[in-house]
Amino acid sequence: MIAALNGAFDDISKAMKLHRVWVALAHEDIGDQHRRTTLGPLWLLVNYVAFVGTFVFVFQPAGKGAAGYAAYVAIGLLVWFYLMEVMSMSVALFQREESFIEGTTLPLFVYVMRLALQSIIRAGYAIVGCVVILIFSGSPVGMPWLWSLAGLFLILFATPPLITVFAFLGAFFPDSQFIVGNLLRVGMFFTPVFWMNKGQDPVQKYAYEWNPFTYFLEIVRLPITNGEFPAHAFTVTIMASLVTWAIALLLLGRYRKQVVFLI
Amino acid sequence: MVSIKLDNVSLVYKLHDKLTLSAPDRRVGGPGGRIEGSGRKQFVQALDGVSFELRAGDRLGLVGPNGAGKTTLLKVLYGIYEPSGGSVAIEGKVDALFNINIGFRREATGRRNIVLRGLISGWTETEIEEKMEDIIAFSELGDFIDLPFKAYSQGMAARLAFSAATALDPEILLMDEWIGAGDASFQEKAKRRMDELAEKAGIIVLASHSEALIQSVCTKKLTLKSGRIESLTTEPVKRAGKVAKL
Ligand SMILES: Nc1ncnc2c1ncn2[C@@H]1O[C@H](COP(=O)(O)OP(=O)(O)OP(=O)(O)O)[C@@H](O)[C@H]1O
Ligand SMILES: [Mg+2]
Repeated sequence: MIAALNGAFDDISKAMKLHRVWVALAHEDIGDQHRRTTLGPLWLLVNYVAFVGTFVFVFQPAGKGAAGYAAYVAIGLLVWFYLMEVMSMSVALFQREESFIEGTTLPLFVYVMRLALQSIIRAGYAIVGCVVILIFSGSPVGMPWLWSLAGLFLILFATPPLITVFAFLGAFFPDSQFIVGNLLRVGMFFTPVFWMNKGQDPVQKYAYEWNPFTYFLEIVRLPITNGEFPAHAFTVTIMASLVTWAIALLLLGRYRKQVVFLI
Repeated sequence: MVSIKLDNVSLVYKLHDKLTLSAPDRRVGGPGGRIEGSGRKQFVQALDGVSFELRAGDRLGLVGPNGAGKTTLLKVLYGIYEPSGGSVAIEGKVDALFNINIGFRREATGRRNIVLRGLISGWTETEIEEKMEDIIAFSELGDFIDLPFKAYSQGMAARLAFSAATALDPEILLMDEWIGAGDASFQEKAKRRMDELAEKAGIIVLASHSEALIQSVCTKKLTLKSGRIESLTTEPVKRAGKVAKL
């Protein structure tokens, strides 16, 4: 256990020294994904705004609930799309990096950070759209926005271990790539991304309370929509992040040398 | 002091370690290592009891039929594979040239690819900048250096890969079947650079099926067969300057 942790920290610290590698590669990735398109990565912004617009158009409740709904969906989709992209890209991470893993001695955490940074940059375009929507929909700008920001940082903190855990899952259990993909598609309906928990429908109530992703969404959303500090959601998210880190460190420490034989 | 020491190294590829819902496929024998076990627990013994020692200035040629374990041995030396048994002790800065396309991005220019390759090998930005013109000059790619990598021919890619891998004077250079794609004049140039490298008390390990190449570059020859050492001989040394015909 101690040996595993040492191994993991060794891998991580080597990867941090090589930060130029994953920064450069992440930028190349973003560039390649949008090469030869006119709007380039601005498509990410367009996609996001189109999605929010569609949801608002279809699901906006009538009457006085209407005002806050755009903000509700805008933040919900921002966080959910980010988490969904991170998880669905992670399960095949090591397979995608096969030629690097079999041809270089880069620490595995380099690939984790490469994907993390790439996802963060992509989410950055959506954040711009989100802020614009929030301001136009009349969410009062104030101190609670700082709690939201803290929530975003907490999500960033949880990103590398989340990627690590899903990447190992995909390497050891290749079928999980399809299982995770399907679960994520269904997961949107069991996560309060676009529906609000009124506490009346029992299914909705369970989906709200027992889904860890609820709390990842709420730490960013509640400060802005309700103007409050969501202590419970923060506590749950911090615990979940720490548990994910612990699992990620153990996996990395114990199995990082096995990955090359599995892909 | 630059050195390599392998003691009783073995390496096993396990074929069905992954958890899967599908039935394990049946593989049939042929050339290569030894396939053992059955069903879910098949494995290939790619290296078996390999021991040898290299010192500064040694140039080792790895030969053997397809599947003998040459590539596997190079990857163990580089540290990509942890051996299943035995021990590997290496002193010195190692660089390797396996597949010429590794670490190159198709969409990026040659110049950008040199930067990426350098970063991956752990060079600093100043080192990369200092070596950039050398690498470009040695590769003789000229204006092509600013075209995307996908526009390169195999030989041009090989030139770029070799120039980059040898630019920072690695103490230990591992190479796997790379040279075939380069033309005759580049092969001679590459050979001279390898001579220089070995003279600076480096170690070169080169796997190849070309007897002529091995004879002109190497001072020792290790023959592998089904993962075992068949023979380890010292070749008559051909001095640098007298370039052998390939
Ligand atoms: N990823 C892998 N998974 C399973 N078996 C492998 C893997 N890579 C190589 N092997 C097996 O290990 C043995 C040694 O392979 P290796 O690639 O080292 O041979 P080689 O000497 O480089 O051959 P060649 O001359 O064809 O390049 C072979 O039997 C091969 O089938
Ligand atoms: Mg080979």
